[in-house]
Amino acid sequence: MTDPQLPQACILPEGESPTPVLPRGLRRVPRGVDELATEHLIVNMGPQHPSTHGVLHILLELDGEEIIAAEASLGYLHRGIEKLAEHRRYNAVGTLLDRADYVSGIHTELAFAQATEQLMGIEVPPKALWLRSMFSEIVRITSHLVAIGTYGLDIGAMAPFLYIMRDREALLKVLESVTGARMMFNYVRPGGVLADLTPEAEPLLRQFLKTFPGYLDEYHTLLTGNEIFQARVKGIGVIDRATAIAFGMSGPPLRASGLGWDVRKERPYAAYDQLRFDVPVGADGDCWDRYFVRMEEMRISAELIEQCLDGMPEGEVSAKVPKVLKPPAGEAYSAVESPRGEVGIHVVSDGTDTPYRMHLKGPSLMNLAVVDEVMPGHKIADSVAIIGSLDIVLGEIDR
Amino acid sequence: MSSAVLSTALTAAGISAEVSDEAFGVLARVAACDIAGALMALRDGDGAFALLVDLFATDTGDELEVTYHLRSFARDEDAYVRLVVQYDAEVPSVWRVYPAALYPEREAAELFGLTFPGHPNPKRLLTTDEVELPLLRKSTPIRTNEEVHDR
Repeated sequence: MTDPQLPQACILPEGESPTPVLPRGLRRVPRGVDELATEHLIVNMGPQHPSTHGVLHILLELDGEEIIAAEASLGYLHRGIEKLAEHRRYNAVGTLLDRADYVSGIHTELAFAQATEQLMGIEVPPKALWLRSMFSEIVRITSHLVAIGTYGLDIGAMAPFLYIMRDREALLKVLESVTGARMMFNYVRPGGVLADLTPEAEPLLRQFLKTFPGYLDEYHTLLTGNEIFQARVKGIGVIDRATAIAFGMSGPPLRASGLGWDVRKERPYAAYDQLRFDVPVGADGDCWDRYFVRMEEMRISAELIEQCLDGMPEGEVSAKVPKVLKPPAGEAYSAVESPRGEVGIHVVSDGTDTPYRMHLKGPSLMNLAVVDEVMPGHKIADSVAIIGSLDIVLGEIDR
Repeated sequence: MSSAVLSTALTAAGISAEVSDEAFGVLARVAACDIAGALMALRDGDGAFALLVDLFATDTGDELEVTYHLRSFARDEDAYVRLVVQYDAEVPSVWRVYPAALYPEREAAELFGLTFPGHPNPKRLLTTDEVELPLLRKSTPIRTNEEVHDR
């Protein structure tokens, strides 16, 4: 799965460009095309369906058990984060962004903090950069654990979820001891981070790193080796590389389709230019590959946490920044690799203490758009496998 | 480097553009009617901008800006294409060039009151029919906490 020749994988062969075809989900099939045709059934999947990971609503047009057309209907969680950000000071926007992608809030915070720093020209102390990388990886593991655990639950494997939530607790304890919160951290601030590691954090992390490889083997035994699970995900929801690029996908779903693009490698931020890691790449782009890329990423993230603990420099955790941030007029874009893909924040400043415009580029929205294209032709039970493998978070889609 | 690639590709396609190096990246300003052709030229030309990273609108106070964020894997570069239109204007849909634009165009249409002719599914994306639009324009106020509690 691992592709050490990363830059090679990033270069597209000549002539491979997206095809301008309407997504299959939008190509409605006229009813009663031939005399034997039965009536199509429209099924509302969600927004209260447990396998839609939140409040996703998908309209499925079914012919018997086969999906003819699919269309996502969004907005049940729309809170107007972009509008609210225009009325808040730069320091207070982070709390909104925690609640955008509520499973991995730290990455969205980090993107915004970096964009603000770009605008103001703030130099972040090295220790803060290393802490940012380390906590990004801790949160990546917690997020991937939720993704894998709930994926097993969707497919019908109950036991892995219970073990995974048990093991995730160890990392949540670390996060709680350092940031004061288990999920809504508000830890990364423009200029640095909130606090240094607490005395109990490092022993907890070392203990976790010692046990985590064993835990991963356990998950592989319970899920990866499970024949029913394999039958449900192998060859299902295949997204080839051209489709993935055409639909603007990023993160594990893009890498599972064979394009090893990772923001941490290609546009290094925080301390990633000083860390050594591989980027796992899939071959077929099916649900199995997307699952496996996440499993590999967790192993790599654990190694990164260890590197961060060993190489953590001494020093301040935050630069001296004014209490009220007033960036000069201008624009900045900053992207980070969240567990779901590239989270980008585009900030427009007009020189006042509130952003003039803040746009959140959520990877889940782009990754979800592809369901219109891949779902038709599958059985209705496969729709659950496809949605779960994309690992979307509705908070970030609806914003 | 990249600004030269951008202007060459656009000039070769016969599209007049104003290319500049901004702090956040290379930016090409084009006319709204040229946008589909410009993106096609950038996707298939030397730039090989295969990916549409994002599409978003901004209300400048007098008019609306629509920004297309492109990425080239082959050149390992990002580029931005921007057009400026009046309120309630029409911007040709670019989904035939980048299917990734399908959702963000619906969002921009809804929240900024733009129209994207040629979009195959021009429904609202995020809000229900009762919500008064367009929400993200500067002329739309947000309610204060007191107003929300008084409702």
